[in-house]
Amino acid sequence: MSKSGILTSIYKALTKQKAFIALIIMMIGMLFSKTNFYSAYNLLDMLNSTSILLILAFGVTFTIISGGCDLSIGGNLVVAGILAIKLLDVMPIWLAILIAVLFGAVVGFINGFLVVQQKTEPFIITLGMGLLLTGVAQQLTDAHPLPAKNPNFMMISNGDFHGIPNLVIIMLVCFGISYWIMRYTQFGRNLYAIGGDYEVARYSGINVIRTKWIGFVLSGVAAALAGVLLSSKLNTGSPVYGETTALVVNCGVVVGGTSFAGGIGGIPQSGLGLLVFGMLDNVMNMLEITSYYQVLLKGAAIVAIIWMDCFANKRKREAV
Amino acid sequence: MEEKKSVLKAGASLLRDYLVLVMIAFLVLITAIIEPKFLSGSNLVNIMRQFGPLVMVSLGMTFVIIGGFIDLSVAGTINLVAVVTISLIQPMGQLPALLIGLALGIVCGALNSILILSSGALTQAEALFLTFGMSTVYSAIALLYSHGSTMHFWDISASKSIFESIGSGNIGFFSVSFVIFLVLLAILWVFQSKTAEGRAICLTGGNKTAARLSGIQVSRSIIEIYVIGGFMAAVGAIVLFSRITTAAPVIGAGYETSAILAVVVGGTTLKGGKGSVLRTVMGVLLVVLMSNCLDLLGVSSYMQYAVKGAILMFAIWLDNRKQA
Repeated sequence: MSKSGILTSIYKALTKQKAFIALIIMMIGMLFSKTNFYSAYNLLDMLNSTSILLILAFGVTFTIISGGCDLSIGGNLVVAGILAIKLLDVMPIWLAILIAVLFGAVVGFINGFLVVQQKTEPFIITLGMGLLLTGVAQQLTDAHPLPAKNPNFMMISNGDFHGIPNLVIIMLVCFGISYWIMRYTQFGRNLYAIGGDYEVARYSGINVIRTKWIGFVLSGVAAALAGVLLSSKLNTGSPVYGETTALVVNCGVVVGGTSFAGGIGGIPQSGLGLLVFGMLDNVMNMLEITSYYQVLLKGAAIVAIIWMDCFANKRKREAV
Repeated sequence: MEEKKSVLKAGASLLRDYLVLVMIAFLVLITAIIEPKFLSGSNLVNIMRQFGPLVMVSLGMTFVIIGGFIDLSVAGTINLVAVVTISLIQPMGQLPALLIGLALGIVCGALNSILILSSGALTQAEALFLTFGMSTVYSAIALLYSHGSTMHFWDISASKSIFESIGSGNIGFFSVSFVIFLVLLAILWVFQSKTAEGRAICLTGGNKTAARLSGIQVSRSIIEIYVIGGFMAAVGAIVLFSRITTAAPVIGAGYETSAILAVVVGGTTLKGGKGSVLRTVMGVLLVVLMSNCLDLLGVSSYMQYAVKGAILMFAIWLDNRKQA
């Protein structure tokens, strides 16, 4: 390949991967600021605080790849977290966590039933589920933060293993498992096929309903796990991380290049997409931007990125 | 035998079409029996006032949904319009403040439609996330503009009679906000069902390609639905802050889901192309009555969220069965 050929292929890969460009721009920008952005402590802290969002994103990717979407993860996250803290009083830690995660699986199962089996539009119906679960979370805690009584529970998210925070390790394990499922199992490949073309996948003998359904269950499980970890990190169960978390995570997945059209993307891309939001938060804190401007910049970033995604879809449609 | 079956079937479909009315009647009956206070004059006035802001927002949302899109930005629009309008009463006088508020709503709506048109978004999902982002942007501007503080009527020394009468005035038996609602409903109903523009919106929602091929300007319809949505959100914002006499930059939170809920419960399909503003009015009535009944029955406001979510899911599921 000639030199210019390599350059154009690099250029193509970069324009395809918007999240990567955004990350590089931010990193270059931070070179010129007089902050300790590049300290190992800060970079690890950034990864640590993005971990929960990343776990959420890995789960949601299963639904988006197959042409769905899950906006109930925010509600699922808070209810599972509160449930774990409430159950801690009466049972050992591992059982409380297991029940909370099973709860997430049940929520995912119901979402799957409505979206996949009954063939409703996923967007508004999962938004409704999120609303329902947020209400339940507020009822469970009377809208107050609920402290955990067992000190060992807190160590799950706040402990570290030879200097690496537990949360980052758990996140990496989740990444490994979901990457393996997506890339190397028949189930994962079937999800891509279903997202690419539902009818074609059905006619080629894939059990489309079951496969897509399991995707929703996985999303629910990941959301519940993230909820438990969040509760452990804050050592409280709180109902305030509702709807916006869901929308931000779904946006982040799209930022990474997983399209709502389905069939395109993957777990690493989703991770990159969420890292953009994580780094944006970190950079804005480093530069001491006031919180209202942070909201503004985040909103503008979401609009700009989704706009580009829509525009790319349009170009693709016209090219066909 | 066959005849009996078809009668049953017709009965079932009739019930499905008028489910909302049946549910309203059922709800009123049950609550009136359990809690006689429900039918008292002060409670009915209370319902009429609660009805005002939500019905305005929902009427606008109806057009967006009929057009095959969705608008999550109404919460942000309400926040922005409320704080800007209330802050302008003192320096500019009440009429200019009112007009600027309404114009701001139109600008917000137009901005949404420009984003959607320029990106070529066709699906509800794309519109959902774009307008969610815009909602965040509008809310952030509202926060920056007001410095996060709540503004009160009693801090304004200039005349604010228009807003006071919108908030608590009466014309005969009806409240002023109810009369405004009736006028706007009549205009929107005529626009939707009697004009070519209104039908073009329906066709756009039904099938965009078919609409374009039959000579309808799809982009014009999209601009219209979002401008109506933004304008009605602005009207809702003004009615809302006039009633509660304060405007915080988070005043509109939750209105987007309530409005979608009301539209879908009323029977306008999320798939676009079908529906009417009159159905939405029924949907809003059901939502408002429901929260009033639940209040009277002592259900906590948190649980009401959960009930709303459940009803939203049920309504979409039902709508989906109807379309299939």
